[in-house]
Amino acid sequence: MTQCIGTAPDHNHEHMLSVLARADATRLKTFVEPLIADLGDIEVRENRTGLVMLPMRDTAQGTHFHLGEVLVSEAHITAAGCEGYGMRRGRDLEAAMAMAIVDLCAAMGLHRDVCADFVAAEATTQADDDHETLRRVEATRVDMETF
Amino acid sequence: MAYVATRGGERAIEQSQRLFKEEMGPITPERVAEVRRALPYLIDRVMGEASLYDEDLAALALAQTGGESYEAILLLRAWRTTQPRLAVAEPVTQETLFTHRRISAAFKDIPGGQLLGPTLDYAHRILATEVLEGDTHVPAAVTPADTPAPAQQPSVAAWQAANGLLTAPEADQTLGNAIPDVTREPLLFPAKRAHTLQSLARAETGGVLALGYAAQRGYGQAHPTVNELRLAEAEIVVKHPRGTQFSAGRVKVSQAEVVSKQGRELGLGFSATLGWNEVKVIAAATLDLNAKGAPKGAATEEEFFLYHTEGVESSGFCIHFKLPHYVTFQSSLDAMRDARSTAAAKDKQPEPAE
Repeated sequence: MTQCIGTAPDHNHEHMLSVLARADATRLKTFVEPLIADLGDIEVRENRTGLVMLPMRDTAQGTHFHLGEVLVSEAHITAAGCEGYGMRRGRDLEAAMAMAIVDLCAAMGLHRDVCADFVAAEATTQADDDHETLRRVEATRVDMETF
Repeated sequence: MAYVATRGGERAIEQSQRLFKEEMGPITPERVAEVRRALPYLIDRVMGEASLYDEDLAALALAQTGGESYEAILLLRAWRTTQPRLAVAEPVTQETLFTHRRISAAFKDIPGGQLLGPTLDYAHRILATEVLEGDTHVPAAVTPADTPAPAQQPSVAAWQAANGLLTAPEADQTLGNAIPDVTREPLLFPAKRAHTLQSLARAETGGVLALGYAAQRGYGQAHPTVNELRLAEAEIVVKHPRGTQFSAGRVKVSQAEVVSKQGRELGLGFSATLGWNEVKVIAAATLDLNAKGAPKGAATEEEFFLYHTEGVESSGFCIHFKLPHYVTFQSSLDAMRDARSTAAAKDKQPEPAE
């Protein structure tokens, strides 16, 4: 049996999951396709859409309240006693499953390098997108003069 | 007086629905995608009022109802009830918002500065009629700055608290399912603050604007000034089964604080909603600012504005008047007929001799 190595959370786990949740769905699905064969028998325990309630903190009185719910897709899979999990915004169940497969690979210690490369590439794309957005936002900065 | 039971009309009802849908034509994935692409602010408004964030579903609801927003919101809220709640995310805090627009009308030199972001506030309102003549209207491209704006911006209210202008609120320890939820428990008065803010987040934009505008024009107790307005994206921070917290993606949110002088300090009104809808959050924050001590029946009284801005209920109540309300006014008609016959009999009596 494959030894699960990702049994405890670490800082890379948070980063990997956050990047995968925002990764381009088509690229993510294409990436995991060849990885599946090496995982053995996979049990899909959950693969469904559902809601995540999003609370917010009120700045006037500090109260936590519910802004509303967000549609997400969730996948929970196991193989060889290890588990993989995916949750991302939207109703693309295949993308959630693909995210869970990368997480399962991490838990099993399989395809470490290619997974790390994929996550790094997607992280760079996302950071570039954010950077460009913020350059455009910065262009709207206003300095007001008082007469 | 009694209602009269009626039956029939099944065929007419079916044909009426067919007529509505036939006049709109086929709903295709392409049409839904075009609605989503072309009308992002309408999508945001529908998602906020439906209290369900998913652009594709909101676009589908709008396509299916021909842009009849009340019907679209009803469709989304109904669909929402078919879905399990998988988790409650970590509370979004102002300081963590990925900010696209952030202004203050109360203070010019706020920490972090003022970023206008995407807005038509200062635009000439000129209709691009050349498009109807066959031209394509191509908007001028933004010239990006060399350096990016900071992704996160500091809180104006925190800066005011540090300068003794207002008292910083204590941090709420309520988390997860312990946060009061109007989708699972009734709205009772005096309302819990979490219920008030959640109800305003879901409130119908036009209703909130009408009542907020009334307060702004002087029918409230406090004149608002925009302390801080933000259009931003918030991370949905959830938990992996192994305990790792991660972001499942981002959603657009709007948030407004309005401020007025209250005694020796400033008072804040607050509101936020899913999607970008700044008129709604400014109006709602004005209602929040004016709610305390508002007289019974005033537009700024919490019970008044929360009941009357719940869009699905209020539009549903209005719509129900179109349904058959056939009533026999038998007793009223009997009394009218008695009165008429008595009057007629009196008219027929000969005049007494003088």
